[in-house]
Amino acid sequence: MLEIENLHVSVDGKSILNGLNLQVNKGEVHAIMGPNGSGKSTLAYALAGRPGYEIKGGKVTFEGRDLLALAPEERAHEGMFLGFQYPVEIPGVNNVYLLKAAINAARKHHGLPEVDAFEFLTLVRDKMKMMHMDESFLSRGVNEGFSGGEKKRNEILQMLMLEPRLAILDETDSGLDIDALKVVSNGVNTLRSPERSIVLVTHYQRLLDYIVPDFVHVLVRGRIARSGDKTLALELERRGYDWIIEEAA
Amino acid sequence: MSSALAVRIAAEHAAASASLPAQVVSTERRRDAIETLVSEGLPSSRDENWKYANLRPLEKVRFVALAGGTQGGNAALTSADLPAPIGGYARYTFVDGVFAAALSAPLAKAGITVTSLRTLPDPLHFAPSTSKDSRFALLNDAFATDSASIRVSTGTDWSMGPAGGPTCIELVFVATVEAQAGSSYPRVEVQVEQFARLGLIERHVSLGTGANFVNASVQVDIARDATVNHYRVQESGAKATWLDTLSAVLAQGATYKLHAVNAGGLSSRSTINVLLAGQHASASISVASLGDRQQTQDVFVRVEHSAPHARSEQTFRGISAGRARVAFNGMVVVREGAHGTDSQQSLRGLLAGPEAEIDVRPQLQIDTDDVRCAHGATAGKLDDDMLFYLLSRGIDPETAQRLLKWAFLEDVVARIEVPELRRQIERSLAGQMHEADALKELL
Repeated sequence: MLEIENLHVSVDGKSILNGLNLQVNKGEVHAIMGPNGSGKSTLAYALAGRPGYEIKGGKVTFEGRDLLALAPEERAHEGMFLGFQYPVEIPGVNNVYLLKAAINAARKHHGLPEVDAFEFLTLVRDKMKMMHMDESFLSRGVNEGFSGGEKKRNEILQMLMLEPRLAILDETDSGLDIDALKVVSNGVNTLRSPERSIVLVTHYQRLLDYIVPDFVHVLVRGRIARSGDKTLALELERRGYDWIIEEAA
Repeated sequence: MSSALAVRIAAEHAAASASLPAQVVSTERRRDAIETLVSEGLPSSRDENWKYANLRPLEKVRFVALAGGTQGGNAALTSADLPAPIGGYARYTFVDGVFAAALSAPLAKAGITVTSLRTLPDPLHFAPSTSKDSRFALLNDAFATDSASIRVSTGTDWSMGPAGGPTCIELVFVATVEAQAGSSYPRVEVQVEQFARLGLIERHVSLGTGANFVNASVQVDIARDATVNHYRVQESGAKATWLDTLSAVLAQGATYKLHAVNAGGLSSRSTINVLLAGQHASASISVASLGDRQQTQDVFVRVEHSAPHARSEQTFRGISAGRARVAFNGMVVVREGAHGTDSQQSLRGLLAGPEAEIDVRPQLQIDTDDVRCAHGATAGKLDDDMLFYLLSRGIDPETAQRLLKWAFLEDVVARIEVPELRRQIERSLAGQMHEADALKELL
């Protein structure tokens, strides 16, 4: 699904990722953890193609294609989804319009006709119910005036509608209370399938109680310093990051 | 402006004065207006508050209205040439500044009278403006050929019309003549008495694509605890010069909501003066301007707080594309003694082309303590974070930019509380942005 080899990324001339390697196979859930400033969000943005995240070296293959050669919208068409840590508010563009436009953009790319309006609405309503979102959210501006938790739920709603093959969720758990965390995790779990992969970027082990990962990686200074299974996250919870940072030094 | 222009205006006025209707503006007042213009000159780009306006087309204008403003208008004009009517609004059409009964559907509602001043000997008279920025209102005084005079009596409410009938008013001003042949002087006088509420739409359009010269003057007087919702849409022809002076005075507890959309014309300048004369008066001014090609869209707003505890709000969203210049100069003056003033400005301009120009300028003059004045002004390009967010969802860059430009204007347009009018404006703006097809799902 996703192969990252020796990836180097700079932001504002500062080197953030320094030779990162990662392989994510179909159906797997990977958690990327690590201290502040270790490059977790940079990895997410670089994979999604955000301008300003300069690729200095390395190779990323997504479903056999050179990911880094694709424009951000093409990455989305190919089935990649980035769940933002800070979803952007766009007053004046309403949620339902964005959802539909996003789905149709991917369908057009794959030579499919536009989605049927009735089926689309039925589907949105179902997914919103799952995310415990009121229907009034549909007619509001994208994330406009949403609380932190509402924004995160809206990200997951978009993900459920777009059904990506690879979802990269950047600190989707931050700013969520325990009830919202359950709702969001439940949303993510419904998307788990042998055909799909998920990369969770997170600070805390708490999220991994609800979305149980197959692999846990610890990022230190822009490289993966240690990988393991879900027990690594529990160990981090107990011991903190210092011992890994020391080992990596 | 050169005094040579004022002298030419005076000469044109002298030649036409006998045919100018005295019921609309008295002969003395017209003469006074000309005298002031000759002594003070017209505004020019050297005046601080006029530096963004394009006044060059004035040199080629014939200032007298066609045939001295005799009744008639353009006989070829039919209602099909006008914007679609708005439900609940009775239409009054003025062609080249003169009331056209055949294109109007008068209101049958007790408490509101709308009259063409050419036909009534009992006009409402506002004092002429003395502000230097209102000199084009004097030009209107001098040459006006008709006036829409609206009087709403005490306690009359827009919701109390005859069943199913309109209770609000729409004024449509159509310009048809070339500026070299004659000018058009839309004129509106509105008096709303205590506790009354008025909904007013004012539209300015052109027939064809001639280089019209339109110089409008609008005066609004809102008595104690009365409310006016005023929608103004400027969709003049692509070569038109459109000048406008609006003055509103609010008494105690009065509310004035002005929504203006400027999309048409080659050279457009709107001068808006709002005086909060009574305590607890409230004015909200929302302006959306769209400039493209060689257009100039210039708006100057001056809000004066002269009484305590009044509030005012100015919101501006402007997009400049092509080689256009879009300007908004928003001034707030808080007089001594106007304590407890609450004034807010949110002014934003968007540059949508390398050769376009945006000028957004907030100004505050505060002569008292204990006021709350918040103002924010930005001029820039599309927000990169928003753009990337849309791209990451698979939206192509061109559509994403269109959406964001649209969203930017919608901030103001969405406040229009008359759904039919809002839809018409949205369609028209999308058309102006050459993006009606791309945005069709939003319209």
